[in-house]
Amino acid sequence: MEYSIHILILKILMKPFLIVLSVLLVMTGHSSAAPDARPYVNDKKAPENRKDLEVIQAALTHSLPKARSATVCLEMADGSGSGVIVSPEGLVLTAAHVTAGINRKMTVILEDGTKLPARSLGLVSDKDAAMVQILDKGPFPYVEIDKNNTTLLGDWVFSLGHSGGYDKERGSVVRIGRLVRIANMTFQSDCTLIGGDSGGPLFDLNGKLIGIHSRVGQQLQVNMHVPMHVYLENWDALQKGEFLGDGDFAKRPEKGKGFLGMATEPRKEGGLRVTKVGKSGPAEDGGVKDGDVVLKFNGTKLDSREQMQDLLKEMSEGDKVLLEILRGGSPLTLTCYLSAR
Amino acid sequence: MRAEISFLAGCLLFAGHAAAQQSLESEYRLAGNQTVMAFEEQRQVLQTSSAVMLNGRKEIGYGIVISNDGYVLTKASEVITAADLSVTVDRTNYTGARILVVDQTWDVALVKIEASGLVPVVYAETSSVPQGTWVVSNGATSRLARRLLAGIVSAKSREIPASGGVGLGIVLKGEGETLEIAEVGDKSGAMEAGLQKGDFIVTADGKKVETSADLADVLKDRKAGNRIKITYRRKDEETTVDVLLAARAEMFHDEGNRNDQMSGDFSQRRSGFPRVMQHDILGNKSIMGGPLLDLNGKCIGMNIARANRAESFAIPVEDLKRIAAALMASPGAKP
Repeated sequence: MEYSIHILILKILMKPFLIVLSVLLVMTGHSSAAPDARPYVNDKKAPENRKDLEVIQAALTHSLPKARSATVCLEMADGSGSGVIVSPEGLVLTAAHVTAGINRKMTVILEDGTKLPARSLGLVSDKDAAMVQILDKGPFPYVEIDKNNTTLLGDWVFSLGHSGGYDKERGSVVRIGRLVRIANMTFQSDCTLIGGDSGGPLFDLNGKLIGIHSRVGQQLQVNMHVPMHVYLENWDALQKGEFLGDGDFAKRPEKGKGFLGMATEPRKEGGLRVTKVGKSGPAEDGGVKDGDVVLKFNGTKLDSREQMQDLLKEMSEGDKVLLEILRGGSPLTLTCYLSAR
Repeated sequence: MRAEISFLAGCLLFAGHAAAQQSLESEYRLAGNQTVMAFEEQRQVLQTSSAVMLNGRKEIGYGIVISNDGYVLTKASEVITAADLSVTVDRTNYTGARILVVDQTWDVALVKIEASGLVPVVYAETSSVPQGTWVVSNGATSRLARRLLAGIVSAKSREIPASGGVGLGIVLKGEGETLEIAEVGDKSGAMEAGLQKGDFIVTADGKKVETSADLADVLKDRKAGNRIKITYRRKDEETTVDVLLAARAEMFHDEGNRNDQMSGDFSQRRSGFPRVMQHDILGNKSIMGGPLLDLNGKCIGMNIARANRAESFAIPVEDLKRIAAALMASPGAKP
């Protein structure tokens, strides 16, 4: 009973549906001649000879460079995890316990060490799925998702991730294994994972993304991944930045604990004048500057500090705030995302 | 962030969909009997040219047969304290194995057994193979047969700096404003050299040192396995000794971080190597010391450290050949 064992989450803290259109199914059924044909070794119970081993090796070494270029390290204030870019615009898939909240600021580190600003989008807290958006302009290297859910039990797979955190001299670490268990919400493989791999990608031999690393058991053989259908089922909500589910992988933000990070005083002519902007806080990240006058907060005209505090009390971490500002006589609108107090 | 969660909720959920859950029989998994059978050619090489290192009847590691007359390389730190070292090659157990000489930098020992007609490994031309290339090494073993485990080259070859920097294995009194020793680590170079609590360090490699910062300055570019001349004062007498340097994090028994806790048994000496290749072979620390083979059955490296759950290190064949030649040429290796 492997499910009765304690499962360790893999994010490190430096101290560690198938909405498959039938049309598509039919297409894959007839695409055996395409370059992404299913390697025959997957349909053998076990490799039988050197040729079988070399077929696995050739497929893996062929798929690896592209897979690796899209695999990233995610650095946050309290630790690091991994992720994988799935669009040229810089959409990243990762685990919910890595982002741990929506609209959170983080840094994406590419394989070559390039650091990019990013923000978490939505997550599914009971299935350990999350999305992140790189905020710089692409195009970025990316991988394709196995949207048709073609992976079968026993298929040869490989995992990538920044085990133990980003290490430029080492690069991301690749591990081989087979898909050894398929359950509704979980893939299990014998690719060994460790802290820092959380959110990293699991690929089939063609380099298609099939899962995201989530957690491990005490035994080396127990390594769990979130299958792609969990992401595909929730895709739009994830992209919109919604917090889905009530599970253990991320805690739903509490109302009233949202934090904007600026001090204000009322202005005679109406609005609030900003007297101080907290360093690296939501207001500063949104572009608010000392001396700005805030006229409207999410469309509500502001006349007193209490009024803004009352509005904040009804909001929580990750919520979006549109500030209509007057700066040097010109109006502008700034977007801020509340952080946790 | 909580360290662990129970999977109870998932368990209940799955119970309702038992039919949807599929599981691969263990013999077809990566380390399973049926899967490793494809590597029978390479297993034959392990059978004849890898060595099982034993202390009494306990397996403590593996080794590489490098000559037909009984010279074997192994991981030094795993065998050095063995009271009753013997070596099994193929189906024969050789008692009275002697450790002739140790390369402290690489943690490699040259061991001699009285044997003839052994089959030494054949070295691969290069360790520079693409990541994703199959590699094979010793798995569990029985008295008569070697088993194997397979994996792939999994990251860039590189130096592994000494974890926490190198040190003598001492704790200083106070904040290090003087160099008075408050504690000497159990298996440290300082202990081996005879340093004691209450001693004052006076010079390091001939340089006068007064504070921990002075000492750190002398040590900063040194490597694990190097020796340093230390003069210390006990009562009114000054003595000079050679102290072996090692990774600071490995000399005191730390609790380990969370990644260590999920890694099972890892090698005590797992850092401070000039260059390693990395692979993902699943296993425990006692599989270290043996050969890493490619699909041609050639020795592409020597397993030197199980660093953690997901990372194993091997000495690349180019370095291994040099180490072997130097050890064989050293005075200690002469019969």
